[in-house]
Amino acid sequence: MLADWTYIGIFILVALFVPAIAITFAAILSPRVPGTLKQSAYECGMESVGKSWIQYKSQYYIFALVFLVFDVEIVFLYPFAIAYNQLTLFAVLEVILFLLILVAGLVYIWRKGELEWA
Amino acid sequence: MSGMQIVFLVAAAITLVSAVLVVTLRRTMSSALLLVLTLLGVSVLFVLLQAQFFAVVQVLIYIGAVATLILFVVMLTRSVMDTSEPQVHKNWWLAALVSLVVFVALVVTLSSWQAFPQVQRAIPADSGENLAALGKALVDPNGFALPFEVASILLVATMIGAVYIASERKGEE
Amino acid sequence: MTINDLNTILPLVVLAGWSVVVLLADLWIPKDRKGWTAALSAVGLVVVLGLTLARGGTVQKAFFGTVLVDGFALYLDIIFLVGGLAGIALAYDYLKRMELERGEYYPLLLIAISGMMLMTYANDLIIVFLALELLSLPLYIMAGFARFNLQSEEAALKYFLLGSFASGLVLYGVALLFGASGHTDLPGLVNTMRAGTGNQALFLFGAALLLVGFSFKTGIVPFHMWMPDVYQGAPSPATAFMSVGAKAAGFAALMRVFVTVFPSLSDDLTPILWALAAITMVVGNVLAISQKNIKRLLAYSSIAQSGYLLMAFVPYANAEVSSDSIAAMLFYLLAYTLTTFGAWAVIIQMEQQERRGLEVADYAGLGKRHPWLGLAMTIFMLSFTGVPLTLGFWGKFYLFSTAVEGGFVGLALIGLLTSVVSAFYYLRVVVVMYMQPGDPPVKQNRWVNLTALLAAAVVVGLAFIPGSVLDLALQAVLQLQ
Repeated sequence: MLADWTYIGIFILVALFVPAIAITFAAILSPRVPGTLKQSAYECGMESVGKSWIQYKSQYYIFALVFLVFDVEIVFLYPFAIAYNQLTLFAVLEVILFLLILVAGLVYIWRKGELEWA
Repeated sequence: MSGMQIVFLVAAAITLVSAVLVVTLRRTMSSALLLVLTLLGVSVLFVLLQAQFFAVVQVLIYIGAVATLILFVVMLTRSVMDTSEPQVHKNWWLAALVSLVVFVALVVTLSSWQAFPQVQRAIPADSGENLAALGKALVDPNGFALPFEVASILLVATMIGAVYIASERKGEE
Repeated sequence: MTINDLNTILPLVVLAGWSVVVLLADLWIPKDRKGWTAALSAVGLVVVLGLTLARGGTVQKAFFGTVLVDGFALYLDIIFLVGGLAGIALAYDYLKRMELERGEYYPLLLIAISGMMLMTYANDLIIVFLALELLSLPLYIMAGFARFNLQSEEAALKYFLLGSFASGLVLYGVALLFGASGHTDLPGLVNTMRAGTGNQALFLFGAALLLVGFSFKTGIVPFHMWMPDVYQGAPSPATAFMSVGAKAAGFAALMRVFVTVFPSLSDDLTPILWALAAITMVVGNVLAISQKNIKRLLAYSSIAQSGYLLMAFVPYANAEVSSDSIAAMLFYLLAYTLTTFGAWAVIIQMEQQERRGLEVADYAGLGKRHPWLGLAMTIFMLSFTGVPLTLGFWGKFYLFSTAVEGGFVGLALIGLLTSVVSAFYYLRVVVVMYMQPGDPPVKQNRWVNLTALLAAAVVVGLAFIPGSVLDLALQAVLQLQ
C-alpha cells in the first residue's frame, strides 16, 4: 500500500530537482555581461508606482470562504460516492437532505448578491 | 532505520520547523506560506499512518482552501510586510514552559502505559474498502448520520456569518 | 436515520429545519417588514415548545445511543425555547431602533437554540463538541451584529478567538479521552473507567481539558476575561440571549458529562472545582463593585452567578448529594434565566443611540417616572442578590444547602459572604433609581415591556411555590441517572 506512495515521493523529489538542476546549469554556463539596462526590473515600459503589497478587496475573502464551505462538502460527499452501491434509499435521501441544506446557504448568498463581482 | 522511519523523521522535522517559523516570523505573508508547508508535512504523516483519505483531505481542504483563505485574509490587512510590531509576547517563556510540560507528561504517560497496544485498532488493509466503510458510516443512523446532518447546518451558519460580517452592504449605507 | 430515531429528536429536527426555512423566507421579505421574520421564528419556537412538552420526559435513546432524550433535556430545552422567545421579543424593537434590522438575526438565534438543545441530548462526546460549535458560531456573529460599531466588532472578535480556543481545548480533551479508552460515547467511557482498562492519567488530563473548555463558555474565573468586554460590546439583546443560553448549555454539558463519566475522578477534581468556585464567586462579586456601566456590571454579576452554580456542583461525585446538587443547579438556572431576561429588558428600554443610557447613573429617577419598570428592575436586582420573596432567594438557598449537605461548609460560607458583597452593587442600582432625581428617556415597546413585567411576575410568583419547581427539577435529575 505504502509502495504506491513511494512513487509519489519519488515524483516530488524529481519535480523539486529538475528545476533546481536547470537553474544551476544556467547559472554555470551562461556568460555574464552586466549592465544598468539589463539589471532594471522592466527593460521597457513604465516604472511601477507604489508598492505591490496592496490591500485586497474583502470580496475575495467571501469567495474564498464560500469555496471552503463547498470544499468541505465535497469531502463529505466523496466517501459517500465510493459507498454509493452499498447504500439504502434512506441513506441517499439523507445525503440529499445534506445537500439541500447547503443549497439553502447558496441561495442565501446568491440572493444577497454576494456572488456578483462589484 | 527503515525507510519509513527516515521519511517520518524528515516529514516531522519539516512540519515542526515550519510550524515554529509560522509563529516566529514577522512577515505575515511568509508565515502564511510556511503554514502551507506545515500542512503538507502533516499530510505526509497521515500517509505514514495509512490514513490516505485524510492525507488527501489535508491537501484538498487545508492547503487548497484554508491556506488560500488565509492568504486572502493576509492580503486584506493593511500592512502585509510590516515588521515593526514585536513578534513575541513578553510571557512567551510561560507558554513554552506549559507546552514543554504537556509534551513531557504525554510522552511519559504514553510510554509507561502497558495497555496502550490494546487500545489500538487494526487498520483494514484495502484503502478502497476503508473509504467505503467511512462513506457508509457517515450516513448510517447507527454511525454518524446525526453529526453529518448537523455539520450541514453548521456550514450554513458559517456562510451566513461570513457574508454578514464581511459583505460591504451595497446600497445600504 | 430511521423514522424512530427522527421521531425521538423531533423538536430538534423541526427547529433546525425551521431555521433554514426562516433564512430562506427572510430573503424575500422586504427590508421594512422584518417583523415577519421575527414572527415566523417565534411561531417556530412555540411549535417546537409544544412538541417538546408533548413528548414529555420519557427516556429515549436514538442514533445508536449517541443522543439521549430525558427529563434533564426536557427541563433545559424549555428554558432554551422560552429564552429564545424572550430573545426575539427583546431584539425586534432594539434592532429597528439601532438601525441594525437585518433578518439574519432570527435564523441565527434559531440555529443557536438548536445547538443548545442538541447539547442537552448529547450522550457522546462528538455530539457534545458539535453542539458546542453549533451554539457558539451563531453567538459569535450575534455579538458582532452591530458591524459598524467598533465595540461590537471587538466583542465579536474577542468572543470568537477565545471561544475557538475553548473549543480547541474541548476537542483536545475529547481526543485524549478517546485515546485513553477507545470510546467517545459516554456509556462506553463509563464502562472503561469501571473496568479500569483505560489510562487513568489520560482520563484525568482529558477531563481537566473539558472542564477548562466548559469553564470558558460558562465564564468561570480564571477563564472569564472575555465576558465584560463581550457583554458590553455586543448588542444588548444578543448579550441577554448569550448570557443565558451559552451559560446554561455549558453547565448542561458539564453536568451530563461529569456526573455520568467522571465520578471516580472526584478525588482529583473536587479540590480543583472547589478552588474554581471560590475564586469565581470572590472575583466576580468584588470586581462588580467598581463597575459604572450597567452592561459590565451584569457581566461581572453573571460571572459571580457561575460561581454559585459551580459551588453546588463541587459534590457532584457524592452519590447521595449529586441529584440534589443537579436539581438545585437546574432550579437556579431557571431563576437566573428569568431574572436575566427581565433585567436586560429594562436595560434595552433604557439604552439610547450611540450607547448612551448605559451608565448606572442614567437610571436616576426611573423609579419615580416609570414606576412599573422601576419596580420590575428592583425585583430583578433583589432576585440576583437573593433576597426572600424572589425566585433568586430560593435558588441560592438550594445551592447553599446542597453545598453544606455535601460537606463543603467553608465554600457555602464564602458564597454567603460574597452574596452580602453583591447586595452592595445590586442595591446601588435600586438606590439610584429611587433616591436620585432625574428623568431618563425610556423607549417603551410592548414586547420588551411584556418580557420585563412577565419575568418580574414569574420571579415573584414562583417564589411562593418553590417546592413544586424543585420537584420538577428533581424529576429531571432522576431521569438523568
